[in-house]
Amino acid sequence: MLFRKGALRKFLLVWIAVIAMVAMTAIAQSPSIQLDSGAFKITGWNPPASVRDWSTYFIVYAGSGDVPPLAGTYAVETGVLVFHPRFPIAAAVQYRAVFHPPGGNAITKLFDGPKRETAPMARVTQVYPSADVWPSNQLRLYIYFSSPMSRGEAARRIHILDDKGKALEGTEAVLLRGEELWDPGFQRLTMTFDPGRIKRDLTSNKTMGPPIAEGKRYTLIIDRDWPDARGAPMIEGFRKEYRGGPAQRTAPDPKQWRVTPPKAGAAGALIIDFPVPMNYPLLQRMIRVTDTKGNIAGTIDIQRQETQWRFTPRETWKAGEYQLIIDTGIEDLAGNHIGQLFDIDTFDHITERITAATVSLRFSVR
Amino acid sequence: MRRTMTSIGIGIAMCLTIVLALTATAALQTSPTAQLTESKVQLASAGPMTFGPAGILFVGDSLGASVAAIDTGDTKAPASAVKINVDGIDTKIAALVGIAPDQIIINDVTVNPVSKNVYVSASRGRSADAAPLIVKVDGTGALTLLPLDKIRNASVSLVDAPAANPSAQRNPRTQTITGMAYVNGNVMVAGLSNEEWKSALRSIPYPFKTASQGATIQIWHSSHGQYETESPVRTFVPYTIAGQQYILAAYTCTPLVKIPVSQLTPGAKIKGQEIADLGAGNQPLDMVPYSKDGHNYILISNTAFGVLKLKADNLETYPAIVEPTRTDVAGVPFDKIAALTNVKHMAAVDGANVLLVTAKPGAAAVGSVSLSTVALP
Repeated sequence: MLFRKGALRKFLLVWIAVIAMVAMTAIAQSPSIQLDSGAFKITGWNPPASVRDWSTYFIVYAGSGDVPPLAGTYAVETGVLVFHPRFPIAAAVQYRAVFHPPGGNAITKLFDGPKRETAPMARVTQVYPSADVWPSNQLRLYIYFSSPMSRGEAARRIHILDDKGKALEGTEAVLLRGEELWDPGFQRLTMTFDPGRIKRDLTSNKTMGPPIAEGKRYTLIIDRDWPDARGAPMIEGFRKEYRGGPAQRTAPDPKQWRVTPPKAGAAGALIIDFPVPMNYPLLQRMIRVTDTKGNIAGTIDIQRQETQWRFTPRETWKAGEYQLIIDTGIEDLAGNHIGQLFDIDTFDHITERITAATVSLRFSVR
Repeated sequence: MRRTMTSIGIGIAMCLTIVLALTATAALQTSPTAQLTESKVQLASAGPMTFGPAGILFVGDSLGASVAAIDTGDTKAPASAVKINVDGIDTKIAALVGIAPDQIIINDVTVNPVSKNVYVSASRGRSADAAPLIVKVDGTGALTLLPLDKIRNASVSLVDAPAANPSAQRNPRTQTITGMAYVNGNVMVAGLSNEEWKSALRSIPYPFKTASQGATIQIWHSSHGQYETESPVRTFVPYTIAGQQYILAAYTCTPLVKIPVSQLTPGAKIKGQEIADLGAGNQPLDMVPYSKDGHNYILISNTAFGVLKLKADNLETYPAIVEPTRTDVAGVPFDKIAALTNVKHMAAVDGANVLLVTAKPGAAAVGSVSLSTVALP
C-alpha cells in the first residue's frame, strides 16, 4: 500500500480540482461571438499580432443567399477582435456572424435586430385645399401628417375615386405618379395634379380633360397602411370628398384684397380677405408686415378655407403707417401668381406682366 | 573654378526646381480634381448623378439642397468590354449596409464613361434621416460603398444662406432635384419645388465657386403658340444636332423640347422648341441618345408608356409642333419597345448598350430590383 486511505482521498481531491480548473479555463478560453453595443466581438480568443485581412477570420452577414458581407471596420480592442458595422444595427434584420479560428471549426451565431415598431401613432392631420370645391385646374395637394412618414409610398397609398367609386389609376391617374415632394421632416407631402392635363391645348388636356371635371364628385383616400418613419401603420386612414368647380383663370391681384387694419394699443389681428382661396404653404411665408424699422414679428393664422390671412403681432400695435410686402410668387390654388397666370393666353393682350419680386400694400393703424 | 561650377549647378538646380514647382502648380490648378479636398461629403441625401471629367461624380442632394462633386478615382478603362447584370440589387445593397431590403430606395444610376463601372445612389431607410449611399458595382458585379466619410469632394449649395435668426422655424421648402447633366463645364440641375410652381433650371460652373449657387434660367413652354407656361424641366440630356449642342428636355407636363446650349445663359428666359408630345397620363423618366445603323435615336423610359425609341434623324429640320393633335403621340415618330418593361432608371453604357434598373410594380418590387445591361434596340 503506497498511500494510506486518507492520503489517497486527499490526492484524488487535488486531482479533481486540477482537472476542474483546467476544464473551466478551457471553457473560458473557447472563442464565442458577442453582439455588444452595436459591435460584434470575438471573446475567448487571442487575435494574432499582425493580420492584413481580418475578414479571413471573422465576417458578418446581414442577409441570406448571394449577398455581400456587412460593411464595417475591424479593430483589436484590449486584446479582443471587434467588428464595427458601418451603420447601426437595424430593425427586422437577422445578422449572421461567422468566425473561422485558425485550425479550428467555424463558429456561426445569429443575432436578431430589434423588432419593428408596430404601435400606430401617425395620422393625416389636414389636407389643403381645405374647401370641398376645388377648381378644375387645381395644381397641388398638400397632405400634413402628425408624425414623420416613410417615402416611396404615395403611388400605392393615395387613391382618387370618381363619382362612381372607380379608382383613377394607370393612364387615368390624375396626380403625377411617384413624384413625392416632401418637406425636410417628412411630415408634409406635396403632390401635383398632372400639369399636362391642366395646361390648355396639350395632348393630355385635349384627350383626357383636366384632372378635375367641373361639377363632378371625387373622393380622396389615403390608406391607413402607409408606414410612418418607424415602419408602423397610421392610426387611421383619411377620406375627403370634393367637387370640381370652375377653373381659376384670374391671377391674384393684391388690389382686390380686403385689408382690415388692427386698432392701436392692442395686439389684435391684421386681417386680409382674398376673393378666392390661396395656396396654404405660400401664405405662411410670402406676406410680411413692416414698419419704418423693418419686419414686425408675429404669428400667421390661415382661416376660412384659405381665403383669410390673419397676423397677430408679438407686441401691441403702435399708431402709424405700415406696409404689407407680398412676394409676387404667391399662388392661388391653380398656380396663378401675381401678374402671371399658370398658362398665359398670349392672344390676350390685357394680361398684365409683373416682373418685380414683391409688391406692397399700405395700411394705417389708428 | 570648382566653386563657380558648384554655384552654377546649384543655380540651375534651383531654377529647375522652381520651373518644376510652377509646372506642378499649374497642372494642379488646371486639374478638374484640384479643388477637391478629403473630408466628409456633406450629403443629406443622394439623388440624381452624372459624371464629369476625370472620374468626378456629381451627386444631387434634394434634402440638403446642394450638389456634391466627388473624386471617385475611377479613371481606368476596363481591359475588355463587360456587361454588368445584378439580380436583386436592392437585397444586396440592404445586406451590405445592414437593413431590411424594403428599406432600400434606389434613387438613380449612372455609368462611369471611362471605367464602365456602375454607380447607384440609394437611401438606407425611407424616412427623413435615411443615410445616403453611393454604391459602385464593378465588372464582376461586386458592390463597394463609396467612403462618403472620407473622400476628396467639394459641394455647392442651391439655396440662399440660412436665415440669420437661428430660432426661426425649420423652412419646410425643398427643391427636389429631378435631373442633372454636365454640359460645357457647367453642372445643369433641374428641380421641382414642393411649394411654388415657378422653377428654374440652374447652371453651376465647375470647379465650384465659393457661395455661388449658379445662374438660373427660366424655362417656358408654349402649347401650339397660344398658351405659355413656365414649365419645370423634369429630365434632360445633352445632345448634338448638326454640330450644334442642345439639351433635349422633357417637361413635367410631358412634351419633349430641344434647347440650344448657347441660349442657356444666366437670367435667360427660354422657350423650348417642342419636338414631340408623348401623350396623356405619362411622365418621361430618363433619356439615352444613340446611333445605330446610320440612324440617330433617343431611348426614353416613361412612367406609363414603357420605353419608347424616338427616331431622331434630322431633328434640326423637324418642324415644331404647331397644331394640337388628338392622337396619343405627336411630332417626331417613335416606336414602343415592348421587350423592355418595368424600367425605373436608365443610363447610357456605350454606343451599343444601355443599363436598366427594373423592378416589379407595387408591393412585389422588394427584392426584384435588378441591374441589367441590354443591347440598344
